[in-house]
Amino acid sequence: MTSVSRIEPDLGFIQDLQNVGGLDLNKCYQCATCSVICPISPMDKPFPRKEMIWAQWGLKDKVVQDVDIWLCHKCGQCTETCPRGANPGELMAALRNVAYQSLAGPRFLGRWMSSAKHLPKLIAIPAVIFLIVWLITGSIYGTPFPTPHGEIEFGHIFPGDFSIDPIFGLAALFVLYTFYRGISTMAQTFKEQPRTFVVGFHRPQSIWVSLWQVIKEEVITHKKWRDCGTEEPEEAKFKGHILLFYSFVALFIVTGIVAFTHWSGKVVGFLDMPYPMALWNPVKILANLGAIGLVVGLVYLTKRRLNAAQRDGSSFYDWYLLATIWVVTLTGILSEIFRLLHVAGLSYIVYYLHLISVFMLIAYLPWSKLGHLVYRVVALAHARRLGRVSTEISTEQKNQLYVL
Amino acid sequence: MAEKIGVYFDKSSLEPYLDLESITERVKNKWESACPVVRVVDQLASEEGHRTVRQDIDAGEIDAVSVCGTSPRKDQEFFDFGSNICVDRVNLRELGVWAYKNPDGSLPQEGEQPQDLQSIAQDYINMSVTKLQRTEAPEAEAMETEKTVLVLGGGWGGLTAALSTAGAGYSVVLVEKEKELGGHAAQMYKTFPQKPAYTQLQDVGLQEKVDAVQKHDKITVYTQSTLESLDGQPGQYTATIQTGSEQEQESVGSVVVATGWEEQDTSFLKPMGYGQYKNVVTMWQLEKMAQQGGIVRPSDGAKPRRVAFVLGFSHMMEEFARQEEEEKARKEEERRKQQEEGEETAIEEPFEKTESYRHLPYTTELTTMTALKQANYIRESDDSAVSYIIYEHMTAAGLNEHYYKAAQDDPGIMLSKGMVTSVDAGRQDNVILKVEDNLLGEPVELEADLLVLPTGLVPTTALDPVVQLAYRQGLAFPELELFDGFADSNYICFPYETRRTGIYTAGCVHQPMGLAKTEQDAQGAALKAIQCLESVNRGMSVHPRSGDLTYPKFNFVRCTQCRRCTIECPFGALEEDADGTPKPNIARCRRCGTCMGCCPERVIYFDNYSVGQIGSMISSIQVPEEMEEGGPRILILACENDAYPALDMAAQQGKKWSPYVRIIPVRCLGSVNTIWIADAMSKGNDGCLLLGCKYGNDYQCHFMKGSELCEGRMQNIGETLDKLGIETERVRQEEVAIDDYELIPQIIDNFVDEIFNLGPNPFKGF
Repeated sequence: MTSVSRIEPDLGFIQDLQNVGGLDLNKCYQCATCSVICPISPMDKPFPRKEMIWAQWGLKDKVVQDVDIWLCHKCGQCTETCPRGANPGELMAALRNVAYQSLAGPRFLGRWMSSAKHLPKLIAIPAVIFLIVWLITGSIYGTPFPTPHGEIEFGHIFPGDFSIDPIFGLAALFVLYTFYRGISTMAQTFKEQPRTFVVGFHRPQSIWVSLWQVIKEEVITHKKWRDCGTEEPEEAKFKGHILLFYSFVALFIVTGIVAFTHWSGKVVGFLDMPYPMALWNPVKILANLGAIGLVVGLVYLTKRRLNAAQRDGSSFYDWYLLATIWVVTLTGILSEIFRLLHVAGLSYIVYYLHLISVFMLIAYLPWSKLGHLVYRVVALAHARRLGRVSTEISTEQKNQLYVL
Repeated sequence: MAEKIGVYFDKSSLEPYLDLESITERVKNKWESACPVVRVVDQLASEEGHRTVRQDIDAGEIDAVSVCGTSPRKDQEFFDFGSNICVDRVNLRELGVWAYKNPDGSLPQEGEQPQDLQSIAQDYINMSVTKLQRTEAPEAEAMETEKTVLVLGGGWGGLTAALSTAGAGYSVVLVEKEKELGGHAAQMYKTFPQKPAYTQLQDVGLQEKVDAVQKHDKITVYTQSTLESLDGQPGQYTATIQTGSEQEQESVGSVVVATGWEEQDTSFLKPMGYGQYKNVVTMWQLEKMAQQGGIVRPSDGAKPRRVAFVLGFSHMMEEFARQEEEEKARKEEERRKQQEEGEETAIEEPFEKTESYRHLPYTTELTTMTALKQANYIRESDDSAVSYIIYEHMTAAGLNEHYYKAAQDDPGIMLSKGMVTSVDAGRQDNVILKVEDNLLGEPVELEADLLVLPTGLVPTTALDPVVQLAYRQGLAFPELELFDGFADSNYICFPYETRRTGIYTAGCVHQPMGLAKTEQDAQGAALKAIQCLESVNRGMSVHPRSGDLTYPKFNFVRCTQCRRCTIECPFGALEEDADGTPKPNIARCRRCGTCMGCCPERVIYFDNYSVGQIGSMISSIQVPEEMEEGGPRILILACENDAYPALDMAAQQGKKWSPYVRIIPVRCLGSVNTIWIADAMSKGNDGCLLLGCKYGNDYQCHFMKGSELCEGRMQNIGETLDKLGIETERVRQEEVAIDDYELIPQIIDNFVDEIFNLGPNPFKGF
């Protein structure tokens, strides 16, 4: 007697998926071309065929338990070869979008982040916060664009100690807490995962070993990416992503050094660095290199995205993230340039915009596509633990491979 | 009877392989008086060739023409010299020159004129001359006909047929058993799409049709009426129509049967919980509910929000299949016992109802479309309600695919292939389905507020004789035991025709179908009914030998009243008087010659086709005295509908076969009289091969039973041959289809090899 699970088709869930990128999911007629063409789909219960029918039947329970949605890097080959135009790759992205929306609360943020119509609210929050700060500091100086000692210094109107650091510190705590809750939700649902039983060489491994493998092979080297193909446009996506990733790492290091020297300088005086930093300062050089890296990476990704949009469409999630990073990068660079050119008005305004966009990038991170930073890593580690990722194996091992 | 035959050779298709000079010389010598004109024409199939023959006819030198050249299936336009001049086409090109290979299998050298090929030509020419000597120019038996079509059934099909017929200028008598016209269509809420883009539900639009019929001055409508009897023959039927206690008679020429369907007995749905759970309904119930104002659950009258449709559950039908097998075996046993006790089988078979579980799978295409349609009813009435469709087969054929796709695109219609293995009760009278082998990847349980099961359509012809024929073979259409009561004779070639000439079927008596298909079907049937009227009035055969003016004639002096012809006629054309003397009804006849083939006294003949004629052709084959020297001779009787064209095509494709066979086309293997076989064997021929159509389940015989009847006769003659010491293997029947031209040469050569192994006919030389 086979165990039988009761299914609860949910029409609302299907419509949600359609709204966040899975518009054509109903066209699927289960030929499984997608699962065959996918270079990284596991042999056992391959994706995305099964996700397509689950989505068609509105089986939310099945889908939220599904680790496979995180295995997909959306190379788009399934979408390209689908004979019915059901866009399986888009559906996988839509499923991830739904996950960003629903893995952790507050629910209203998830909802706001799912559609362009809520964008004004999302902008308004940081805009108001930083405007209040500006109004206060501006009234202290008696001008919105103060230049004491003839220097433009953003710290005058957005003092780190009293505005930037507490605001972003709180936001970061909020994001960390949200990820904690999101990961707990994931862990709960993963308990009921299908397992791949491999007889011969595979032993279930610890989650820490798996996590390390993911960080090594997927994050640091992006090695797994190459499995999805090395032709254009995969190449562009790979280059763009890795550039963007390391640029952010660079900027993270810069921010870390700045924060560390600033706060520790309050205790140990000599650590404190003067601001703004001189252009020859190695930290400043690293920051500027990071900014250039961002621009180049963004150009790659935007070009690919525009092509992708022609081919299979992109969702609000895709454009939100790309646009936010563009604004962060450009306002960052421009505010520096205006500062160096001594255009006080423009440089303050642009810096204000920079702060808004940085806030939007960081504070809403768990509900944006950038949430994959955490969720995908966790899911991939879990999948590896289960043996659900085709790991590199020797020929000898291959001969002993049996999948049940 | 031709006395002066002109023999013409087409040089362009026969040279250089045939030595036309010596052949003409031999023809002149052999048929000195019979063939006053023997000519070789450069290209016979041309204006020029036609003129040459015409001049000889006009000069009074000849009264019949033997055309030696291309296949009779080619160049027909050049060889029509009016109805008085009989023309025989001698297929020397395809069956002679093109199909020829040397006895050892090699091909003739350049410039060679092989002796065996000359013999083939000589035999075919001799056959043609003897054939023409025994051919009469047919005279049409024209008859007075009533140009009125009787339409049975006032549903979608009947109304369409009536309008089409009346629209073409013919009168119509429409008989409907209910009070109102419309039939099942009147009880439908909507129909699946019938026009581009084939994605939207559509109103039935019945009222316009009914109004048009009622307004039409050429259509007489009888409601609350039934057909009591149909007497006579096409063109001259008398229909007796019963209305209440009154009877009226109408003269009609042909009939369209569009009496539709009845709902299948719901006991076949019992394994799916029908009758057991309140909220399990059939599609037809749901349709009526929708039409009468809304779909609700029978248990509490609430609007269902989750409706499951299950299409196909053949694994649950196995028990019915077993029961039916048992019943069949029991009946067979009974029949066998009766025969042992010496009871004669009745000629007039009693009508037997043929309702079966199989009517459900037969309706699959229609129930597929109905499920999609009704799933949309649910969606239409409530945006948040959903329909589940669990199908065994999704049969959305042709343009209906668009509607299937449209349903797939609706997120509220969820589809999966699957096998429903159990139906149970849930809370609040809900229904819980267990679905295995589905696309979701594992067995699942699905809860629904309402379960809808398909409705099987049983044709009215399975339940009732319907046509009420006053024929000696019975009231109803003869049951072929192939279609479970659907009135269908030859689906591929003749979709509207039944085994009763002049009576055509349309709509669901024909096969389960929706309104759009019924509309087309009814128009087709109406055209056939008109074709019938316009053929029988000219004394022509309606089909499949459309335009044939000959008909079976009887030499009653020799008739022994054995009744074989009246039993075997596939079309019930022959009535009989009290003594058993056959009474032909020419307009019912399809000119297949089955009667001629079965008659032991050989009293039946056609003007241009008779037992004597073919017999004399067989006699004119020159059989070499020694098989070792001249090879064996093998007679092939080939059905002219499929086998003969297949031979033609084989030759056209460059296939070759043994030079020892002689081929004679016949109207149907059913017309093969066993005397021909006996003649051929007694004249020293070494074998006889009959090429006819497939019979049985996938029968392709144009006359339904011809090849099957022939097979039976060949078994009988086999016994006779055995007694004479002739091996029964020398006579064989093979089934071939028109597209078997690749196989036919092999069939022939294999048979010739077997004859070589058997050695010469022991009768040779006697």
